[in-house]
Amino acid sequence: MSQTHERQNPAFYALVFALVMMAIGPIYLMLTTSLRLNVDIMSDASALFFMPTLRNYETVLCDVLWYTPEHVGYCDPTFGRALGNSLIVALISTGITLIVGCMAAYALVRFRFMGRGTLSMTTLMMRMVPPAVLLVPVFGIWTFQYHMDGTYAGIILVYVAMNLPFVIWILQSFIVQVPIQLEEAARIDGANAFQVFFLVVLPIIKPGLAAASIFTFRIAWNEFLIANALLDRSTRTVPVTIVNSLTEYDIDWGVIMATGMLLAIPPIIFTFVASKQIITGMTAGAVKG
Amino acid sequence: MPRIRFDSVEKRFGQTMVLPPFDLDFDDGEFTVLVGPSGCGKSTTLRMLAGLEEVTSGEIWFDDRPISRLEPKDRDIAMVFQDYALYPHMNIAKNMSFALRLQKVPKAEIDAKVAKVAEMLGIEQLLGRKPGELSGGQRQRVAMGRALVRDASTFLFDEPLSNLDAKLRGKMRTELAEMRNTLDKNMVYVTHDQVEAMTLGDRIVVMANGLVQQQGSAEDLFKTPANKFVAGFIGSPTMNFLDATLVDDGGTLTAQGPGFSFALPPSMRERTAGLSGPEVIAGIRPASFALAPDDAPAGSRIDLSIKVSEYLGTQTILVTTCGDHEILVELDSGARFQRGTTMGFVVDPETIMIFDKKTELRL
Repeated sequence: MSQTHERQNPAFYALVFALVMMAIGPIYLMLTTSLRLNVDIMSDASALFFMPTLRNYETVLCDVLWYTPEHVGYCDPTFGRALGNSLIVALISTGITLIVGCMAAYALVRFRFMGRGTLSMTTLMMRMVPPAVLLVPVFGIWTFQYHMDGTYAGIILVYVAMNLPFVIWILQSFIVQVPIQLEEAARIDGANAFQVFFLVVLPIIKPGLAAASIFTFRIAWNEFLIANALLDRSTRTVPVTIVNSLTEYDIDWGVIMATGMLLAIPPIIFTFVASKQIITGMTAGAVKG
Repeated sequence: MPRIRFDSVEKRFGQTMVLPPFDLDFDDGEFTVLVGPSGCGKSTTLRMLAGLEEVTSGEIWFDDRPISRLEPKDRDIAMVFQDYALYPHMNIAKNMSFALRLQKVPKAEIDAKVAKVAEMLGIEQLLGRKPGELSGGQRQRVAMGRALVRDASTFLFDEPLSNLDAKLRGKMRTELAEMRNTLDKNMVYVTHDQVEAMTLGDRIVVMANGLVQQQGSAEDLFKTPANKFVAGFIGSPTMNFLDATLVDDGGTLTAQGPGFSFALPPSMRERTAGLSGPEVIAGIRPASFALAPDDAPAGSRIDLSIKVSEYLGTQTILVTTCGDHEILVELDSGARFQRGTTMGFVVDPETIMIFDKKTELRL
C-alpha cells in the first residue's frame, strides 16, 4: 500500500483557508451586521461581542408580520413590498421563459424549416449583447412608446427576452438527447405533435428545465441595471431598493444587511427545489444504449 | 384484416433515390418478412407503411383505402421498434396503456386489456416498474405488449430481436411464431437475419440496394432463388459460387473451372441456350456435397483441400479451397476430417444452380 495521506504543503492549506475566507467572509459580515443594532455597528469596541437581535428583520418585514414590533415607530412598507415585487417578477418571468423556451428549442431541434441554423445561431448571438447596451434603447422605447415603465409586464418582458436565448440554447442540447424513436413510438401510439411534446418530450427533459429555471430565476432575481431604470416606487425589486436606501442623510446598515440576507433566501430555496429535478439517466431504459 | 398493397411506391431523400418505384402485395392475415442487408431499404419501406417516412410518389393501399398521406395514428397500425423505444418516465403499465389513454378509453377497459396482454407475455409482475429497471428481453416484451394492447389490424416489427442475445432471440422467435398462429393480424416484420425470415415469414421479401429481389415462401426462395443475391442470402451456411465455363462436348453439358468439372442435367442445356458466352457462375449449396465413393469417375469429382474444420455436433462445416476459390462444405459429422488433407467430393448435378455472369439471374 502506498501512503494515502500524503502531507500537503502548508501553503496549500493557507490558500484553501484564504479562499474560504473570501467566500464566507462577506456573508458572515452581512449576517452579523444584520443581527446588530446600529449602535453596535457603529461603535468600534464591540467588534466581536454583541447582543444578537432580530430587530432589523422586524423592521424590514414590519409590513408583513402579524404583530407590530414595538421598536418600530413608522412601518416602512418599502422592503416588504420590494421582496414581493422581486418574487412576482422573478417567478413569472422564469415561467414564461421556460414555456416559450422549451417550445422554441423543440422546434429548432426537430422541425426542418428555412433558416433554422441561422435562427439557432442568432438566438445565442443575442446573448452577447451586454444589458448595459440595451439599457438606453429599452428605457426609451418602454417609457415613451409603450408606457410600460414601472409595470411588472414591462420588466418581465425584458427579463424574458434577456434569458430566452440561453434557455433555448441549453434546452436544445437536452432535446437532442431524447431518442427520436420515442417520439415516433408516441406518434404511432396516436399522439399528435402537442401530445408528443407535452407527454413524452417534456417529462424527459425535466432536468434541463430545472437547470434552465435556476439560471433564469437567479438572473431575474439579481438584475439591477434595467430594473433600476424601468421600475418605479411601487414596483421596485429588492436589489434596487437596497441601493436606493443608501441616502445622503441616513444609511441604516442593520436593515440593509437584513434585507440582503432575506434577498439570498428565495434563490437558495428555489435552487434547492429545482436541483432535485436534476437527476441523470432520465432516458435510462428508453432505447438500447 | 386489410390487404396491404404498395403501388409503384417510390422514396427519395432530396435528390437521392433510395427506393425506385416498386410494387408489393401482402395478403390478408399474412406474416410478411422484409429481409436484406443493412441499407437495402427494408426499414424505409416499413417506415413508409407506418407513416414515419413520407412516400415520395405512388400509393399504399389498405384494401381500397389510400393511406400514404395519413398520420400514423389514422392508419390502424401498431409498431415494435428495434431499440424498444419505451417511455422512460412511465412505468410499464403506463407504457402499455399510452395509446389507449390517448384514445380516452375507459380506465376499467384499459386495465383489463393491459392485464390480459401482460399475462400473455408473462410480464404481469413488471407492470409497476420503470423501463430502466428491466433487462433487454423484458423490455422487448413490454415493447411488444405495447403494440398488442392496441388491437390494430396490422403490426409492424422493425428488427425487434436484433438487440437480444442469441439464446433469448431464439426463444422470442418461437414465441413470435406462436403469436402469429394465435393472432389473426397482418404482420410485417423487418430483419436482416435470414434465419428469422425463414422461420417466421409466410411471405419473405428479399431486398437489396433498394430493389425487391424476390418474394415468396421460404421454400421458394431456398429452392428456386431468382438470382445470385437471393441464393447467397438465403440459406446457412451460404452458397458457394464458382466461376465456371460451360462446355458442351456433344453428349453432356459440363460446367468447368480450375480443379472441377460438373456434369449438368440435360434440362440445363435449354435454359442456358440464350447465353451470350460460356462464362457463368455455378452455385452449390454446402450441403450438396458428399464424400466421393472410391469408384467415382474422375470427371464428376472435385478435390478440395481442407483448411478449417468446424465441428457443430451433428454437422461439420469444412472450409476448403479449390484453386483460388474458398468452398464451404457441410457434412454429417461421421467421418474425421484432417486439416491440410485433400479429399474428393461429388455433387448431385440436380442441385447445381447456374447464374448468368452478367445479369446474375438464375438460369
